[in-house]
Amino acid sequence: MLQAIGLTKTYGTQTALHPLDLEVKPGEIFCLLGANGAGKTTTINLFLNFIEPSGGRALINGRDVAEYPLETKKEIAYIPEQVSLYRNLTGMENLEYFATLANGRELGRAKLMEYLREVDLPAGAEDRKVSGYSKGMRQKIVIAMAMAKQAKALLLDEPTSGLDPKASNEFSRLIGRLAGQGTAVLMATHDLFRAKEDGSRVGIMRQGKLRQVLNTDEFGHADLERIYLEHMHD
Amino acid sequence: MIGYIAHKEMREMRRDGRFQVAAGIVMTLLVVSVAIGWEQYVTVSRQHEQARAETREQWLTQGKKNPHSAAHYGVYAFKPKSPLSLVDRGADPYTGVAVWLEAHKQNEFKYKPARDANTLARFGDLTASSVMQLLIPLLIILMSFSAFAGEKEQGTLRLLLSMGVAREKLAIGKALGIAGGLGTLLVPAAVMGSAALMLGSEEGAFSANLPRLAWMTASYLLYFAAFIGLSLTVSAMARTGRLALVCLLGFWIFNGLAAPRLMSDVSRTIYRTPSSFAFAREMESELKKEQSEEALKRKVMAQYKVEKMEDLPVNFQGIALQASEEHGNEVYDRLYGQLWDTFEAQNRLQQQGAVVAPLLAMRSVSMGLSGTDFAQFRDFSVAAEQYRRQLIEVLNDDITKAGKQEGPHLGDERLWAKAPPFVYEAPGVGRVLSQQCWSLSLLAVWATSGAALAGWAATRRLRAE
Amino acid sequence: MISTIVKQEWRLLQADRTLGAVVLLMGLLVGYSLYNGSAWVGFQRETLAGAEAEQSKRLAKLKQDLEDFEAGRKEPKGFQDPRSAGAIGGVTAAPHVAMPPAPLATLAIGQSDLYPYYFKLNPRSKQAILANDEIENPTNLLAGRFDLAFVLIYLFPLLILALGYNMVASEREQGTLLLALSQPVTMGQLVAGKVLLRGGLLLGLVVAFTLAGALVTGVDLGSGTVWLRLGLWIAMMTLYAGFWFGLAVLVNSWQSSSATNALTLAGCWLGLVLVAPSVANLLATSLYPVPSRVEMVQAMRRAGKEAQLKGSTLLAKYMEDHPELMPEGEKTQPDFASITYAVQMEVDKQVQPVLDQFDRQVTRQQEFADRFRFISPAILAQSAMNDLAGTSLGRYQHFSRQVDGFFEEWRAYFLPKIFQKTKLKAADLESFPRYSFREEEDAAITGRVGVVLAGMAAFSSVVLMVGFGRIKSARAAG
Repeated sequence: MLQAIGLTKTYGTQTALHPLDLEVKPGEIFCLLGANGAGKTTTINLFLNFIEPSGGRALINGRDVAEYPLETKKEIAYIPEQVSLYRNLTGMENLEYFATLANGRELGRAKLMEYLREVDLPAGAEDRKVSGYSKGMRQKIVIAMAMAKQAKALLLDEPTSGLDPKASNEFSRLIGRLAGQGTAVLMATHDLFRAKEDGSRVGIMRQGKLRQVLNTDEFGHADLERIYLEHMHD
Repeated sequence: MIGYIAHKEMREMRRDGRFQVAAGIVMTLLVVSVAIGWEQYVTVSRQHEQARAETREQWLTQGKKNPHSAAHYGVYAFKPKSPLSLVDRGADPYTGVAVWLEAHKQNEFKYKPARDANTLARFGDLTASSVMQLLIPLLIILMSFSAFAGEKEQGTLRLLLSMGVAREKLAIGKALGIAGGLGTLLVPAAVMGSAALMLGSEEGAFSANLPRLAWMTASYLLYFAAFIGLSLTVSAMARTGRLALVCLLGFWIFNGLAAPRLMSDVSRTIYRTPSSFAFAREMESELKKEQSEEALKRKVMAQYKVEKMEDLPVNFQGIALQASEEHGNEVYDRLYGQLWDTFEAQNRLQQQGAVVAPLLAMRSVSMGLSGTDFAQFRDFSVAAEQYRRQLIEVLNDDITKAGKQEGPHLGDERLWAKAPPFVYEAPGVGRVLSQQCWSLSLLAVWATSGAALAGWAATRRLRAE
Repeated sequence: MISTIVKQEWRLLQADRTLGAVVLLMGLLVGYSLYNGSAWVGFQRETLAGAEAEQSKRLAKLKQDLEDFEAGRKEPKGFQDPRSAGAIGGVTAAPHVAMPPAPLATLAIGQSDLYPYYFKLNPRSKQAILANDEIENPTNLLAGRFDLAFVLIYLFPLLILALGYNMVASEREQGTLLLALSQPVTMGQLVAGKVLLRGGLLLGLVVAFTLAGALVTGVDLGSGTVWLRLGLWIAMMTLYAGFWFGLAVLVNSWQSSSATNALTLAGCWLGLVLVAPSVANLLATSLYPVPSRVEMVQAMRRAGKEAQLKGSTLLAKYMEDHPELMPEGEKTQPDFASITYAVQMEVDKQVQPVLDQFDRQVTRQQEFADRFRFISPAILAQSAMNDLAGTSLGRYQHFSRQVDGFFEEWRAYFLPKIFQKTKLKAADLESFPRYSFREEEDAAITGRVGVVLAGMAAFSSVVLMVGFGRIKSARAAG
């Protein structure tokens, strides 16, 4: 579903992303691990066509994002690290806006309500202003958005940073459920524990290079930390 | 400590590209406007000097004629340009430049330069005063809106306050830094302006204008100080630099654009100006209320203790002319007095409007000290009118004293020379200051309360979190 | 798609109370400025009505007097014979010539507070008449008026910029831009939606308030010319607003912070609305200086002095040229009135070249200034608005040409009678030349405004095109 072929990004002489080859299949959760500046967000921005690649291609459902910027965006949903919504609007209004932008038509409150129930937004919260929401609640709105969009791929940038453990756990369940329905998930994270728990595969990045890709069912939590630190130290 | 803070502020400012560009533009405009103002002053003064000499010459060489036709021929008076008009043209474009002084009538000043100007002129003149009244406050806002708000956003404020810097010292340091930055700009401009003034004015005129220049400098400094205080206050109270900027720009627009227009509307509503039609009608009807010729004759005969007009030792025609002149003078004094009092009441109200917009006070003081405000136009008008009366009286006296000689009575150069040339001396700085006391005190209030507010806001309202 | 964005923007504006503030502010500004404009127009109308009434009263009395003299009921007396052409043409029947306010005069006071809108004619000297002014406190003239044109030219752009300076920057700063652009929309669509809503809203408000205000202040909406002018006015405003929105889009495409955008746009506003006109004015007055009025006065005096010295000779010479004007049955005993007129005509002739030179120079400066209008949309807007409101120099010149024509007519009627010392009769009153103001042709106004509109359209389309062109290629992240 998500495919990078020799995807590269350079800024002048600095290389933010060395040629990257990667594929995330439907139903798979791929976690990108790495320190700040390792190239995780760059990868995600490239899939979103927020930045132009210096080389290679980013494909979504087989189509190059640079060639089909709008078409490919219909297939994906994105959850930024700082989930920012229009503070003065309610959760429902925010959802309505983005869902309409995504689908090109209005879905109706009843339908959107279903999605909000599905993501377990506390009852009654949908008509309160977003300025009073916690990060977890804002994330739920965005996940509902992805559901409303029936996105085939999900791009997540540090989704669990700043979440309390309970919210973090709830979030993982939601993502798991989406993957179970066949969504391809690419998630950049610092959180080794969640990566091991949620991910199907884990990629370790450093200085713009994807160093190693592991299947999560092939090792334990402690192994992952060890491997990760090995990559960081050399 | 304070000096150190001020130094850092100035260094930061000098490295700020925005400040450099803005300061460069303001400086250029200031220099250009002073240069143009100087050129205009020199040209116009020369023209006036020539015209003044020529009109006197024409008067003296008008040849032999009846003194009353000489009175109808009259002379012209030209409003002189004051040297400081190179800083502030004030109301000059909107007051006439020349008035015809003739028998029977107090004429209006004709030929407002604005009527001959192209339509762009209504957007406002580019003069040193408009740069100082409008653009420099904007520059001050630009320099200081982020003084506190920016440090809050950057997070440097927490660091700064954790160093144990007293907040009031911080405020004073920042104010001095801004003032210093402004000074690097204004001091050269002021020196250049004074030099232009010295070169442009005749001998003695410069030193005569020095007190005016000194007062003007002081009042502009008060005006700038008020803006520095205000900007720092807003910067300390606003959460973000953006908010501070928007608030300050809003005030600047109100102060510079809306307030002068609003106050002039308000003053016009409270003190109504008559239409020139109504004014002329009233003038006409008042002038008609002259005493009858018969009554005058009886009075004159009684005065000279004669029974018949033929026995009068003097020429009645001269007396009649002078009597009508005096009646006219009384009417002119009253009606023009009322009209001009109305204008001055309007202007006073506009000065008081400085309670909400300091520009109104600054504009008034600046025009007053430049000698280009309405009060000084009135002063000149009154002087010209007094001269007219004096001139006509000399001529009428001559007719009266001629008695009843044979043939037409003609005056010659000796008579024309009896009327002295018109010399006008502008009011001294003391009078101007007394007219501007409202504005000056309001400027002082703005400056001190600006400083006090900034101090209060920095110590009480500045939050690091 | 764009409609969704527009709807969203509408919600956002409502939610943060910007909308209420904008509507309120706009309403206050437009309402107050129209009130001000209509007060000034009312004052002018009142004055003209007063002048009109005074004139008809004066003429009625003159007619009565003349009838009385003819019937022998009264004896003419006074310094000047009240039946003489000089007394009647110059004093008792002296006509008021007026330029009534144009239909949309309430919208822009323009130059109408500077140029006179009525004169009292006499057959003697045109120059003396035209130099008259309406009475006004010079300080007020300096401040200018708070009319709708001021609101639209100075303040309207500020409202536009206040609503537009952070269109994109604020969403970037909040982080919502990323989310929005991860949907299948382009930046161009997003910004177009924002501009459409804000522009539609502001323009709709201004147009609605203006029309409502025009109705309340008694503008006659029944006539075609009023609609033509209103239509051009609205077109002008739309293009002007388009320009400022375009500028906001352009600045937003530079991807700097809201505060930097605000500063940049405030700078543009300052430059285009305040500085550019004064610099252009400075150039115009320096390159094409108007000759000094003081020197003109002196030239007139010189000519006058010469003419006066040879007063009676002049009359004799004039009579030689116009023997038909010789009073019948009298020797050429020159009277005071005839000499005065002969002298005055000589003075006029002498002074004419000086005046022509003066006018030429003024015209040249104005032409230069007219070309310079195209450096700033604000100047263009001012020029078009004054033309449409009928408060421009153009309409004043149109009026002053009519005054010229009527002056000649009036003089041609009375002058021969003055020289012939004719005594007028009541019946002659009917044959006096009559003045009525001819409004400017629609075509003349459309022509002048059309050029300006074209310039404005060029400004707006360039800025909008460049702005949208750049913002389309602007990216969500760096």
